[in-house]
Amino acid sequence: MIDTASLLTIVLMATVTYLTRIGGYVVLRNRTLSPRATAVMEAAPGCVLISVIAPDFVSDNPADLLALAITFLVATRLSMLPTVLIGIASAGLLRHLVG
Amino acid sequence: MSTTQAYLPQQAGEKSSPEFWRGIVSCTPVLLGIIPYALVLGAQAAQKGLSVVEVPLMTGLNFAGGSEFAAIQLWSSPPHILLIVAITFLVNSRHLLMGAALAPFLRQLPKRKALPALFFMCDESWALGLADGKKRASVGMNPAFSLPYYLGAALPFYLTWVIFTTLGAVFGPVLGNVEAYGFDMAFPAVFLVLLRGMWKGIARARPWLVSLVVAAFTYLFVPGAWYVAAGALSGLVAAYFLSCDA
Repeated sequence: MIDTASLLTIVLMATVTYLTRIGGYVVLRNRTLSPRATAVMEAAPGCVLISVIAPDFVSDNPADLLALAITFLVATRLSMLPTVLIGIASAGLLRHLVG
Repeated sequence: MSTTQAYLPQQAGEKSSPEFWRGIVSCTPVLLGIIPYALVLGAQAAQKGLSVVEVPLMTGLNFAGGSEFAAIQLWSSPPHILLIVAITFLVNSRHLLMGAALAPFLRQLPKRKALPALFFMCDESWALGLADGKKRASVGMNPAFSLPYYLGAALPFYLTWVIFTTLGAVFGPVLGNVEAYGFDMAFPAVFLVLLRGMWKGIARARPWLVSLVVAAFTYLFVPGAWYVAAGALSGLVAAYFLSCDA
């Protein structure tokens, strides 16, 4: 049920995550961050998220690219649940029709 | 601070349970929104080979959805431990800023209470706790930060996240191959909505574009999962150099 490598990964993930949670309180509470450091830290989560899904933007399947374009448009307007549902439905349908 | 002394008698004259309840009530509307995320994460984790024990272990110990989505997306058997841990740190680095913003309100608490309370700091509980602290401070309430309110807002999130990711892992495999039905599109959908939530104008989003382009090219031309690290780091470098004119 529990694989050693998975367990190690999970424990290390949890450790760095907890360090980020207490880090701001322990280290930064009496300091002011430079505007440049703040800009880098504010950009970081977005840079990571977009990098993780970057392969979807260069898929060689036209149906997937079209579904991603639809999902992208919907994401700029609607909230989480409808976006996820429309994304899933468009990918499922387009793969049957185009792919 | 000369007012620190006045904070020390903890929660004087204020009962904990109504405050805790007030926190629960304020977080309820947002709770419903995270249930679909949790189910999708659990189902995808099961698809990648995580067991129904490993899923709650991850979501219960780590308790940071964005990094868990990224980790599952990159998960392989065996997992690339360093890559996943580094990505987890990058996705969660925003906690450093959030903790720093909350720090002035936590000064009234002893470390033995503040440090465990911070374990439950997620985007939502942080936002609710900080907004409430500012509101109470503006009307002169003492202490400004209500720990029971914050915990009332945070603990239901924690339980909902762990329970529904587990349910996703249990029932996800019943659906079979999620890609056949387009369920894998849930990932980009979730990430795009998260990105929209972080959107602060085109100038601040330029590093994201750099990340996207570099990650996409790395994915096409370099084997393995290096595209995430390459994209993320080039975006950070871009943010560093662009920050002077942003």
